[in-house]
Amino acid sequence: MQLQGVIDSAVKEVGGILLGKEPQIRLALCCLFARGHLLIEDLPGMGKTTLSHALAAVLGLSWKRVQFTSDLLPADILGVSVYDAKDGSFSFHPGPIFTQLLLADEINRTTPRTQSALLEAMAEGQVTVEGETRSLPAPFFVIATQNPVSQSGTYPLPESQLDRFLMRLELGYPHPRAEREMFERRHSGALAINNPQQRITLEQLEIIRTAVSKVHASENLLDYLQRLVAFTRQSPEFEVGLSPRGALALLDCAKTWAAMHNRTHVVPEDVQMVLPAVASHRLVPSGDYAGDGNALVDLLQRKVDVIGS
Amino acid sequence: MNIQQQVPRNALVWIFICLFALVAPHAARLPVWVLVVYVIAFVWRLQVHRGRWSFPGSWVKVAMTFSASLGIYLSYGTLIGLEPTVALLLTAFALKLIELSQRKDAYVLLFLGYFICVTEFLFSQDILITLLSVVNVTLVTTALVALHQPGEHQFNRGTIKLASTMLLQAVPLMLVVFFVFPRFGPLWTVPIKSHTAKTGMSDHMKPGDVASLSQSGDVAFRVKFEGEIPPKSELYWRGLVFSRLRQDVWSGLGFYEVPLSERRPSEVSTSGNPLSYSIIMEPTQQNWLYGLHYARSNSPGVMQSSDFRLFSPGPLESENMYSVNSWLSASADESLSDWRRKAETKLPPLGNLKTRELARELRSGVSSDEEFVDAILARFNVEPYVYTLRPGALSGDNQIDQFLFQSQRGFCEHFASAFVFMMRSAGVPARVVAGYQGGEINPVNKTVIVHQFDAHAWAEVWIEGKGWVRVDPTGAVSPDRIEWGLEEAMQAEGSFLAAAPLSALRFRNVPLLNMLRLRYDAITYRWQSWVVGFDRERQFDLLQRFFGGVSTQIFATILLGSWVLVLVPVAISLFRKKDTHPVSRWDKQYLIFCGRMAKLGLVRAPGETPGQFAQRAVAALPVYAKELEQITRQYNAIAYTKVDGSGGSMGEALGRFTRAVNRFKPARRRGVIDETVSS
Repeated sequence: MQLQGVIDSAVKEVGGILLGKEPQIRLALCCLFARGHLLIEDLPGMGKTTLSHALAAVLGLSWKRVQFTSDLLPADILGVSVYDAKDGSFSFHPGPIFTQLLLADEINRTTPRTQSALLEAMAEGQVTVEGETRSLPAPFFVIATQNPVSQSGTYPLPESQLDRFLMRLELGYPHPRAEREMFERRHSGALAINNPQQRITLEQLEIIRTAVSKVHASENLLDYLQRLVAFTRQSPEFEVGLSPRGALALLDCAKTWAAMHNRTHVVPEDVQMVLPAVASHRLVPSGDYAGDGNALVDLLQRKVDVIGS
Repeated sequence: MNIQQQVPRNALVWIFICLFALVAPHAARLPVWVLVVYVIAFVWRLQVHRGRWSFPGSWVKVAMTFSASLGIYLSYGTLIGLEPTVALLLTAFALKLIELSQRKDAYVLLFLGYFICVTEFLFSQDILITLLSVVNVTLVTTALVALHQPGEHQFNRGTIKLASTMLLQAVPLMLVVFFVFPRFGPLWTVPIKSHTAKTGMSDHMKPGDVASLSQSGDVAFRVKFEGEIPPKSELYWRGLVFSRLRQDVWSGLGFYEVPLSERRPSEVSTSGNPLSYSIIMEPTQQNWLYGLHYARSNSPGVMQSSDFRLFSPGPLESENMYSVNSWLSASADESLSDWRRKAETKLPPLGNLKTRELARELRSGVSSDEEFVDAILARFNVEPYVYTLRPGALSGDNQIDQFLFQSQRGFCEHFASAFVFMMRSAGVPARVVAGYQGGEINPVNKTVIVHQFDAHAWAEVWIEGKGWVRVDPTGAVSPDRIEWGLEEAMQAEGSFLAAAPLSALRFRNVPLLNMLRLRYDAITYRWQSWVVGFDRERQFDLLQRFFGGVSTQIFATILLGSWVLVLVPVAISLFRKKDTHPVSRWDKQYLIFCGRMAKLGLVRAPGETPGQFAQRAVAALPVYAKELEQITRQYNAIAYTKVDGSGGSMGEALGRFTRAVNRFKPARRRGVIDETVSS
């Protein structure tokens, strides 16, 4: 089917810049297809911004980038009314948020005040400045990047705000083979100036979304989903389990993943594929559990039976 | 106070409701001040709950206890007996509420509540009382449930739903226990209901007694005939035989007043098919039973006296059911012993001279005793005698003379009494019989309902060769009474049930009301014959019929067996409850497949999807690659793809999958596995 081809070419296009990260690229696309906002978390210099740029380019969306700093104010993102001396009135100067895709770099470097201004806009698809509500363009995506929380000079996002991101991705160090290729490309000068081309049009995005809405989730699969969710709420390793919003996010992503792989029904593998990205930032380990969110997801994957008994 | 020990507000409200619901059926029997105690207890406890008043001190409690006991003693004159004891219990119940502060107090109160539910049955086992008790038990259980729901700070009506569900679950066990649990004889005797009035016929009769009994619309007993119901004019329910007249009062001969040789009823030759019927009597606190003409009963606890009455050795304190065979044509006492002849002709030495004179005169005018009977009846018929419920009081001596020659207004007992007096005056053995005559036929269930207003008195005359013959002088005065009953006979006078203007019987001409009344009566009959009448004998019969014998082992087996039968499914359903729904058929098949793989050493991890498991399995057992992939593909298709609504294709797919799983019986080839695992 051509859908598959379109997605594959998009993945390839991004993969041409971010080498050896195909699974993460597919998950990032999945997140955008499912109308979710994406959070990319990793150490500096792992390619977070590169991935964001490439995704924006491949989707052909108008995009703007905001580098979050500790002195950034809400008005810097949302926009501000400025007095125009010529007509003697105030005119609104929209901020960078009025775009289809917003790259919010290092979101946890700014103050909670600015963070929440952004997250509010993400949740509602509109901003209210000086008493006037303005809609954001559609589609509206936010791809935010952040450094690991343990880094100094960060304001960690609270759980309630993390929950607004459909997925959180970690890029990790590249595979040695991919890294080697990267070196070679840099040497030949091919890497730096590779501008990705648009591969998915807005119409194609709509087609993908229609396909997703037609994907069937069977009773068996919903049972599995419920067992997963119940496990996070009952097991002692979890301080905070998956919220209903989290559970719905898991289902949406699994459906999108199935559609991206040209299936009209969800299989447990789909759930397991998207589970780390969807769940790891929503789960909080209990005090006496040594692992982090990723370890919890691993526990979920292993312990929860795919087939009810 | 420890918060664990507090009574939740919800429970407290339910306890209040219980308090009044439990006392309600007793209210009419209790002195008014006990009800006042209930209101005081309620208000006091409510104010304690609102923090306005405090719990009573120990001296106050002692004072209240003593004054309550004293009050009971003053109201009843005693502390012993059923009513005073129950009243004491009810008062204690109310007082306990005042000092209810902790959960353990509430437990005591509620368990006492169950006990109070039971005490209602000491007074009545009516179906309505039983229904009320079911409601009360539900309320007490609700309060008990509420006590176990800490943190309910608001009144919660939902609690009763939970309690009702629990009680409904107990119904099967209740039925088993009702039918099977051994019914012991009374371990102790309940104190006699000294304060309950005896009802129905009394053991003596003076003019006006039957007339006053006829003012009541209560049911005396209900009869179910096995065959056709005889005509009403044949329904003379004999209850008492009065052989002795003393100071214008007729009374029966006591058991010990009859000489030893006469105490057993003489043999009566019976021929033909008897009339079979069973009678359920309402409690009377007396010990006589009723039957038609010559009646014999095989029911336990029914005895026959020398004048062919049926009686029970003890007073009837609750509904009593017995079955009777009657021979309407049998002649009783074909020959009369000297003692009995003397007893049945005896008259007071003095008084009523005019009546004696008249009797002798009439007797001398006829040739036989039978003609003498006819002569008197003819006189009753011809002379202007009036059959009335309002005969006016007779006073002083010579009351029979007064009735016969002056007032000439009388109810059945006047006529019967005068008739027997005249018979005896002429030396003919005769006696007064009291009981009921007629009855209302309930078309719903073909029972005969005999009311108190059917009370009647008639006479029996001993005729040579025929034995005791029934003669009803009332029939000569008012044939309507015998044919149609009292209501018809009293229509002109309008005195039928004049004292009970609201009795349902007065509205018999309203078809709907009458139908409702008869239906309710039919239900009452059923209730009495099936539930109240289910005594030890019937239980034995039932068990005998189903299990061919009764022994301790059988009792124990049935009891335990039925408990197991009820409790095991409950236990299983509770055990399985952690599953939201049962395993589907395809999952079952897939798990069978997994079981077979596990035997080969390939155990599917919980988190492994069928696809991943198949990959691993194929890698380990390449020989079976085809089957493994087929089974996995089929399972995935059934479990995860969208099935069209037709159902047929689903069934087919499931069938194919089941067959594939059944066919797949991998052999244990250790070599293959070991090889692949190690590589």
